[in-house]
Amino acid sequence: MIKVDNVVKRYGSFTAVDGVSLDVAPGEIHGFLGPNGAGKTTTIRMIAGLLKPSSGAITINGHDLKSEPEAAKASLGFIPDRPFVYEKLTAGEFLRFHAGLFGMGGNGTQERVQELLELFELTRWETELIEAFSHGMKQRLVMCAAFLHRPRAVLVDEPMVGLDPRGAKLIKDVFRRMSDKGVAILMSTHTLEVAQEMCDSISIILGGKIIARGTVPELQQLAGSQDDALTGVFLRLTGGSALQEIDEAI
Amino acid sequence: MNHAFPYLLLPVFWGARNRARRREKGDLLRGALFGGVAAAVASTLFAVFFWLTWQVLDFEELGEYLIRLGLSWLFLTFLSFVAFSAVVTALSTFFLSEDLRLLLAAPVRDDRFFYSRFVKTVGQSAWMVVVFMLPVLLGIGTARCAPLLYYAAVPLVILPFVLIPVALGSMVTLGLVNTFPARRARDILMLLGLLFGITLVLLLRVLRPERLLSVQSLPDLTAFFRTLQSPVTPLFPSFWAGETLFAALTGGVDWLHLGSLWTTALGLTLLARIAFQRFFFTGWSKAQEARKARFTQLNWLEALVGLLPVRGPARSLLIKDIKVFLRDTTQWSQLLLLLALGAVYVYNFRVLDLERIPYMSRVVKNAYAFVNLAMASFVLSSVAVRFVFPAVSAEGAAFWLVRTAPVSMKAFLWSKFWTGLVPTLVLAEALTIVSNEFLGTDPFLKVMSAAAIFCMTFALVGLAAGMGARYPRFKAENVTQVAGSYGGVAYMILAVLFIVVEIALLAWPSSVFLWSLYTQSPIPTARAALMGVSFGLALALSIVTFLAPMRRGVTELEALEG
Repeated sequence: MIKVDNVVKRYGSFTAVDGVSLDVAPGEIHGFLGPNGAGKTTTIRMIAGLLKPSSGAITINGHDLKSEPEAAKASLGFIPDRPFVYEKLTAGEFLRFHAGLFGMGGNGTQERVQELLELFELTRWETELIEAFSHGMKQRLVMCAAFLHRPRAVLVDEPMVGLDPRGAKLIKDVFRRMSDKGVAILMSTHTLEVAQEMCDSISIILGGKIIARGTVPELQQLAGSQDDALTGVFLRLTGGSALQEIDEAI
Repeated sequence: MNHAFPYLLLPVFWGARNRARRREKGDLLRGALFGGVAAAVASTLFAVFFWLTWQVLDFEELGEYLIRLGLSWLFLTFLSFVAFSAVVTALSTFFLSEDLRLLLAAPVRDDRFFYSRFVKTVGQSAWMVVVFMLPVLLGIGTARCAPLLYYAAVPLVILPFVLIPVALGSMVTLGLVNTFPARRARDILMLLGLLFGITLVLLLRVLRPERLLSVQSLPDLTAFFRTLQSPVTPLFPSFWAGETLFAALTGGVDWLHLGSLWTTALGLTLLARIAFQRFFFTGWSKAQEARKARFTQLNWLEALVGLLPVRGPARSLLIKDIKVFLRDTTQWSQLLLLLALGAVYVYNFRVLDLERIPYMSRVVKNAYAFVNLAMASFVLSSVAVRFVFPAVSAEGAAFWLVRTAPVSMKAFLWSKFWTGLVPTLVLAEALTIVSNEFLGTDPFLKVMSAAAIFCMTFALVGLAAGMGARYPRFKAENVTQVAGSYGGVAYMILAVLFIVVEIALLAWPSSVFLWSLYTQSPIPTARAALMGVSFGLALALSIVTFLAPMRRGVTELEALEG
């Protein structure tokens, strides 16, 4: 599980994240939505251990990220929004390197690598350099790496960016299977249809604060929206009247 | 689009202006440091060429002849540098730059596109050469009491002189990209550049210019000048530039050579424009194609590393680092240069003829052992700044992988340290032991030097790894940029200071000890104690220089944000 408790992140006098709390239970897919600059990525990066919170606590599967960073990271799989990887390694080498970082010994590693490459339809690219991969292929490779060490919690930043419809469907299926197996997934996304389709519950962040939380029907009720699609609810909660102005300008 | 071609260069100027306006922490110090180094280099060049010109002018006609020959040689050297630099720069400005898609998708006329990129190529490939050339030409002019005409002629000669190699270099790049994919062309160019550098270094060394200083070799002088004269041909623009400036130096105007420079420069620029209009788009399209890369699988490496006493994440990091290094042409090819420099280094000691001064040879040999130690440490710090200092930065945008993995920053940095230490230690010990053997130094000094360089390698590699972690440049395009950054320069300054203090701490007790052996006189107890303290201080300094930056580097990596 992922537990974020009253986390604050300040940059000088600017507060990017202001007292955010989140709870993602085992087997739950939790959507994390918000407009650009709302503090989503900052929160995600703090949970991944890439940024230090100014205050507050983050716990991953019972391990406090501050006092037990290695134990917390060992049970987390992180998928960033931009899949930067070592371009001069092959897909297989990259995954074996990742396995080594996560302390996976030699036994069974190669089988696990094969299993994931097959799952993400990358088997025939195992011995090719990553520099020749498309964005979508790199994204799938990073997902292989995130699931390689069988994490109990997964953190995903914009999972669908750069994926073709087939890739997107594949990822959705994988996430569902993972959550069925009890993995807690926290997913930040701009693709509201994906969030609506996949997430058990959703938190919406605006100006660094969580302004709404609940299931899709609960959010609809909160926003007083009759709209079936999450888009209308999201725009109502985050103040999306600018869309009409854009429409007029165009 | 109706704007003339300089409009397309506006982003370059605006970018520079914005960078200058938005000063960041450390900018002033960095500016002062680089400015200081640049001013020191310029002043040294000015002083050296002023002194040289002043000296050779004592020799009446021979002096004038030497200046004339020297100018041609100077321009010939710069000509080759600019030509090579232009080939590499044109590949980036015309084919790999990120703004090219934006420009090529816009309704920009091809001639305007060409001229804007050409000007950028000229600026990027020639600025450094021009900056080096100016103090040299000023030094020669001042020493020769040149008329104002000379100073007016300098820019009129330099401009067409740099246009010629850049136009030629750009056309070579155009040909290369039309033949190979752009990425492979870059690798080929890197290799060619290195071979060019290595050949230059070896050629200059094998010429043995030190013979000029030796009285016994005077009869060889004519042969030496014949060698010097051989590459100076009247068909090269370097000759025209040299002749024009020499004429201006003596108060005349050489219209023929100045005219040759300008007509060739303009003609070649026009020819390059036509070539680019005809072949650029084909080359550009090819550069976009992602060809299947050829590379070595290096499967044996994992088995080999398996034999080493390295386990867990450190093993994975080591395998990854070696594979990335060996597959990146810009990285491994530097090893060739290193080998050439190593060969020149050892060769220097091989040809050192100390037996010419027999009664002093033992003292001089032992003094040279310390020069050798200092030089080997200096080579070592240059290797460390190029290979160990950028080790953390080389993780680049992929560093998130290590940071989100259950690996402590301490384990990560120490893994980088050991990966850097082993090859540098082998190199340092080999250089020191082999050159001391050639020198024939005292056995005590041989052992002391080998032990000292062992400790100094730990210190210099630790300093490089630690400072590399303290001043990382994850966004740098290549490792050369990392080595030349503020942290890299600061490392070199600290490394040189360390070497100077270390050598001083070792030289005094060693010389006292050798003197007592030579004179067969005992060392007083108080002095022996002081010698022990001096050796102890040298050891302590090495340990502190090794451990303190590593600790600081770990702290900085742990505090990293983003």
